[in-house]
Amino acid sequence: MNNSKSKFIALIWLLIVILLLGYNAYLWFDKRITPNTDILALLPAEQRDPVLQQAFDHMVDTAQQRIIVLVGATDWTQAVRAADAYSAVISTRPDLLTLNNFATEKIQNDWLTTFAKGRLNLLTPDQQIALHTQPASYWVDTALRNLYSPFAAPKLGAWQDDPFGLFSTWGQARAQETPVRPRDGKLFVADKDRSYVLLIMNLHPSAFSMTAQTAVMPLLALAATAAQKTVPQSEIISSGVVLHAAIASQQARHEMSTIGIGSLLGIILLTWLTFRSLKPILLIASSLMVGCLGALAICWLILGQIHLLTLVFGASLIGIAQDYGIYFLCGRLREDKAASAAMDSTQLLRYLWPGLYLTLAAAIVGYMGLALTPFPALRQMALFSGVGLLFAWLTVLCWFPVLVQPHTLTITRFANQFAASRAHWPLLQKNKITFFVILLFFVFALIGWSRLTVNDDIRTLQKPPQLLIDNDIKISKLLDAPTLAQFYLVRGATPEIVLQREEALAKQLQPLIEQHIISGYQAISNWIPSLQTQTANQKLIAQKILTQPLQDLAVKIGEDNTWVTTIKNRTLAATTLLTPDDFLKTSASEPWRYLWLGKVGDEYASIVALRGLNNYSNLPILQQTANKINGIQWVDKIGDISSILGHYRQYMGWVIVCAYAAIYGLLYWRYRRHAWRVLMPPAVASMATLALFGLFGIPLQLFHVLAFMLILGLGVDYGIFLQEQADRHEGFAWLAVGLSAVSALLSFGLLSLSKTPPLHAFGLTMLIGMSIVWLIAPCFMLE
Amino acid sequence: MKKTGKNTTIYSFILILMMMIAAPAYAAAPVAQIQAMLEKPQVLCGRFDQTKQLLGIKKPLASNGRFCVVAGKGILWQTLQPFPNTLRLTPDAIVQIQNGKVAMRLDANQEPVVRMINNVLFSLLAGDLSQLNKLFTINGSVQNNSWQVALTARDPALAKAIGNISLAGSQHVKKVTMLETSGDRTDILFSAMQSGNAAMTTAERVLLEQ
Repeated sequence: MNNSKSKFIALIWLLIVILLLGYNAYLWFDKRITPNTDILALLPAEQRDPVLQQAFDHMVDTAQQRIIVLVGATDWTQAVRAADAYSAVISTRPDLLTLNNFATEKIQNDWLTTFAKGRLNLLTPDQQIALHTQPASYWVDTALRNLYSPFAAPKLGAWQDDPFGLFSTWGQARAQETPVRPRDGKLFVADKDRSYVLLIMNLHPSAFSMTAQTAVMPLLALAATAAQKTVPQSEIISSGVVLHAAIASQQARHEMSTIGIGSLLGIILLTWLTFRSLKPILLIASSLMVGCLGALAICWLILGQIHLLTLVFGASLIGIAQDYGIYFLCGRLREDKAASAAMDSTQLLRYLWPGLYLTLAAAIVGYMGLALTPFPALRQMALFSGVGLLFAWLTVLCWFPVLVQPHTLTITRFANQFAASRAHWPLLQKNKITFFVILLFFVFALIGWSRLTVNDDIRTLQKPPQLLIDNDIKISKLLDAPTLAQFYLVRGATPEIVLQREEALAKQLQPLIEQHIISGYQAISNWIPSLQTQTANQKLIAQKILTQPLQDLAVKIGEDNTWVTTIKNRTLAATTLLTPDDFLKTSASEPWRYLWLGKVGDEYASIVALRGLNNYSNLPILQQTANKINGIQWVDKIGDISSILGHYRQYMGWVIVCAYAAIYGLLYWRYRRHAWRVLMPPAVASMATLALFGLFGIPLQLFHVLAFMLILGLGVDYGIFLQEQADRHEGFAWLAVGLSAVSALLSFGLLSLSKTPPLHAFGLTMLIGMSIVWLIAPCFMLE
Repeated sequence: MKKTGKNTTIYSFILILMMMIAAPAYAAAPVAQIQAMLEKPQVLCGRFDQTKQLLGIKKPLASNGRFCVVAGKGILWQTLQPFPNTLRLTPDAIVQIQNGKVAMRLDANQEPVVRMINNVLFSLLAGDLSQLNKLFTINGSVQNNSWQVALTARDPALAKAIGNISLAGSQHVKKVTMLETSGDRTDILFSAMQSGNAAMTTAERVLLEQ
């Protein structure tokens, strides 16, 4: 009767699992859900700022989907030929990449027409200073030099529209915001040895998608080959987020096939040695899989989204669910064959019940702390891992009794020997040796902890190959491009206020250029000053130039007062006030459009981008500059993400501390004054691992903390298993602990071999921590 | 992205100076003939007389001075009348000196066109005439001992910005006319030309090489 009842339960659970499978298939294949990768979504809701969000998206979109390629040769014509061969290959796949085209002639015309209308409003900061300080003779000399020299200052338009070259000089300052020049319908940039054609491509599929990485990378390689075939000595330098993403995922795939296969083989061997059957692997895997599917489905139903960080961390945390299955399977393998065989599945379940529910309860109590933090991804993680553990646990409860009957598994000699080994472990006793060991441990731990440092810098989480870094550096040097990771966000109630604030900021930035902290900045107000400045510029020119200097010039070149009046009128005619929209409408503004966010919500916003920022220790100076002016915010994406990671590390750290307390409470209810014995192994292991990190100078980061959470989960399980089967000669609990610890070491610990920094950090913590937990767990048990 | 307009004066000016010591390419049939007529000295110095007629100024602006072109080194253009002014073009920079002070400086690493011009200039001095032909279509005619050519930029934007340039000469370039689209016109006449190392004074050499 019992048997048919458990079969019925197993069937019901099968139905639920089929539903889960169906729902997951629908989510992934039909709805094509993608995990949220937005870093800002990790921030607490009240800390989110729509303008900042838009600025971020704006900059991220600009950068992330762009591939920049420089095709260079010693000679421009060769570079053009190579670039044409390159572009020809790229244009075969318009579905993947589009090449930006720049119509040189049109660009020149439309910007000149726009700005010539407001010539009198435009002055560079240097010109403003010169107008205030220089005598009339200075301007007459300048005008004469321009007049007589065959190549004077570069000239924009007719001489009589700009006799003192003010507009031309302003134009030259604008041109020097970038070293890129149009040439023969291409973009040209050069260094001492080579001329380069600059190709800017937009990537259509997301840079992080597999399509992008598997299709685009060969296409780029093919294009490079074509270019090199056409011009053998051509040089091709590429840069783009997709290149980094592709290398990272290639590395991940490579590691999956080495570390992954290694750990799988290890687990297979271990299972075979213990059970002479691979069925246990399938059983445990099925429980973990149901856990993940359930977690994802419920999370999606409740939240309607899932963050990538939740997925990665949550799935790791569900890893401790292996303990439930292992515990059950080992319970089946007790040495006392007769007793074991006499016990049917229901009885076995009843016998194991306290251990099973306690471990689940402890894990859920421990992880629920994550839900109490203000961070959305941590809350998601709490839900995800809690639900996942419950589903995995229910799978063990519903399926294992039916699938694992008394005679399904036979105990092997290896398993027996291991199980018996528990009896040889020393037990902690109240004596001098124990006292000495504890003292020694604390000395070691205190020394280690005192040296422990933290590092949340996002840049330490990725280690791109040197070639990519070199290319990125070379491109950013050649293009003298502004950094996308740090910028100022300027906002105000009207475009005019935004421009005025930009100008106030520009005044503060000027000394920083002189101190070589930055080499320059890009701002819309460089092109379109605020109306206030435009009017002031007009007045300044009218007062300082159209008076004495113009009169003097007339005398020098033999003109009369009529001429002076004509020039004056002509100059004063070009005073149309310009607005950002005037500039943004022109095709010449394309490279600067990203600076203007326009209307966001009920305010206006813009970006002031910095060039030549290559010493990160100067960031605080730039941040202070923002604080001096109203409506200006310093945005440091790298710093912001790093500080988010730091917050997560701290909060998760506190969650772990609280989890120890909460689990202690739970255990006290069952074990009373022996509850501490259960918590000791993971606590000691974590403290020792932290101390080792301190001694070896490994700075603490988020991924270590995640591992400590897992060590707590697994370690508490071991403590409960061993405590439940306190009889040192009843070895199956110790076998379960051994199996679980070794498979955790194989599946997580081996990640310490990974070259991806976060995986390495996680793996190393697991390797050290779990080894210690395993080693010391029996020592704390009651005799 | 950026205007070419501001560079046009540089283009045309450089072009003329290049013509002083090298032939205007081999595109049209007479060009080969012209090239044969021209002397290709290592150093060439002489006097220039420049007249500018600008729209909006009644009187033409006359100036004169001395110039030197040195293969591989650069160009020195010293205006003497109506006021002294020196222009120096080297691979690294274009510098203008007035009253002993640098009045204007355009560095190659700041303004890539400087480097571009120099590339064209020096490949030309090395005898690689294809450079000039890449930028311009050249039409010319020869009569007895003299010749003349008209240059049109191949890039339409550049053509519009530069306007028309015509050159005339025999053994050397003698006359240059630039007619800009704005209506401004510049005529330069070259005379008293000397070639060889002795053509350049020590002061000039110092000025160019400093």
